[in-house]
Amino acid sequence: MITVNTRILKAEFEYFTPNTIKEVLHLLDQYGSDANVIAGGTDLLVRMKNEVISPSHLINIMKISEMSFIKAEEGWLRIGAATKWHEVVEFCAKDRKYTALYEASCSLGKVQVRNMATIGGNLCTASPAADSAPALLVFNSRVKLTSAQGERIINLEDFFKGVNLTAMAPNEIMTEIQIPSINNGMGSAFMKITRVGADISKISCAVALERQGDICASCKIAMGAVAPVPMKIDQANKIVIGKKVDASLVEEMEKKVSEEINPITDIRSTAEYRRKTAAILLKDVFWKAWHRAGGDK
Amino acid sequence: MMKRKMVNFKVNGELHEVLVESNALLVNVLREELGLTGTKYSCGTGQCGSCTVLVNGKPALSCLMLAVAVDGADIVTIEGLAKPDGSLEPVQEAFLDHSAIQCGFCTPGMVIMGRDLLNKNSNPSESEIQEHIKGTLCRCTGYTSIVRAIKSCGK
Ligand SMILES: Cc1cc2nc3c(=O)[nH]c(=O)nc-3n(C[C@H](O)[C@H](O)[C@H](O)COP(=O)(O)OP(=O)(O)OC[C@H]3O[C@@H](n4cnc5c(N)ncnc54)[C@H](O)[C@@H]3O)c2cc1C
Repeated sequence: MITVNTRILKAEFEYFTPNTIKEVLHLLDQYGSDANVIAGGTDLLVRMKNEVISPSHLINIMKISEMSFIKAEEGWLRIGAATKWHEVVEFCAKDRKYTALYEASCSLGKVQVRNMATIGGNLCTASPAADSAPALLVFNSRVKLTSAQGERIINLEDFFKGVNLTAMAPNEIMTEIQIPSINNGMGSAFMKITRVGADISKISCAVALERQGDICASCKIAMGAVAPVPMKIDQANKIVIGKKVDASLVEEMEKKVSEEINPITDIRSTAEYRRKTAAILLKDVFWKAWHRAGGDK
Repeated sequence: MMKRKMVNFKVNGELHEVLVESNALLVNVLREELGLTGTKYSCGTGQCGSCTVLVNGKPALSCLMLAVAVDGADIVTIEGLAKPDGSLEPVQEAFLDHSAIQCGFCTPGMVIMGRDLLNKNSNPSESEIQEHIKGTLCRCTGYTSIVRAIKSCGK
């Protein structure tokens, strides 16, 4: 392995600070794949320091006010892609309905990182361990992608294509994340397992569910760092839907999730560890969400 | 050829106009151009928190920030926490009183994080302090006295 000097940034590039989305799109059309958008820079600059990538043009999107907002309207919670994490945390702390997103936001990095990094950057990096992904997936979120040719909205699960790969074309940017409004009876939770406090997840899990008494009316599960992309679990959850929930049914679901995921061995954990932990993590997150749907905080 | 850019920002209340390369990091500009070596450069990848400064009132990592990106910003470094007459601010005093400094390398970042927490929460609990300084690493592992020092500033 080459030793990299992270005290400097070796790469040379031209730097732009546009004020509108239109200007960004124009620059992207002009420079194509030589250009990279930079938001908080907490992923991108680390990758550039480590010489994983070396774009010749950087386009700063942090001065674009139309990309930084949180609005609840017409059945959707809309979050601008360049909205910083601390703003998401503050919003969710007030509006406690999006509990899984709140817990994921609070767990992301640390104070300093949340003051710099953006929600769009977390998704666009397309790390299998991106903490916001499972939380956004269980709420059926969509993302708005914009290019000079127009806009399109796609489901978040169709956005991730592989490790650091997304459905975005080189001339597209993510402008907005859209989360459907949440019904009052929904309970959700997010948890992750890390080696030390402020660390990338070894494995993460979000659950959002609705209850009718002891019956689980709906249940969505998503996991991070268990496959090349953040993954919506669509088999294990079926075990509890429409059924009277008890410990043995949840145990069946835990077994199923270990089979359904597709983890790898990397520097953070082995695949075997992830399969075992996935079951335990799901159990904890499921019951948390279950009790919340029943009215607990 | 890389274009140099003129950036204007306030550091510790003073306006600066600096000509920087587009790839210059804020930490290097603070230390090398402005001589403010209180801000430390350690891991370079955001893990350790030694390079923490306040940008527009919020703690941020100056090793992962381009100098060109802080054009127009208001920055406070550890040098800016003491009062103009040189007397220390309460968190700094508390670090001295509680011997919360070993090698001293993490201290600027720790003091800034302590100040930031106390600005929002005038009487933080031990666990709130731990959570707030979670991303600021002390490799001497002197956390106990650091947490005690910050806690002593609560009221
Ligand atoms: C110390 C540290 C701790 C961290 N801890 C965590 C953690 O616990 N959990 C976690 O998930 N992540 C963590 N991260 C990773 C990172 O902070 C997050 O992924 C963050 O949300 C990235 O956002 P950013 O604005 O900094 O992205 P940037 O670094 O600016 O961008 C990341 C990538 O996305 C692209 N991009 C950004 N915005 C857009 C857009 N609107 N449209 C198109 N492309 C775009 C960029 O071109 C780049 O390729 C950590 C990072 C550090 C340094």
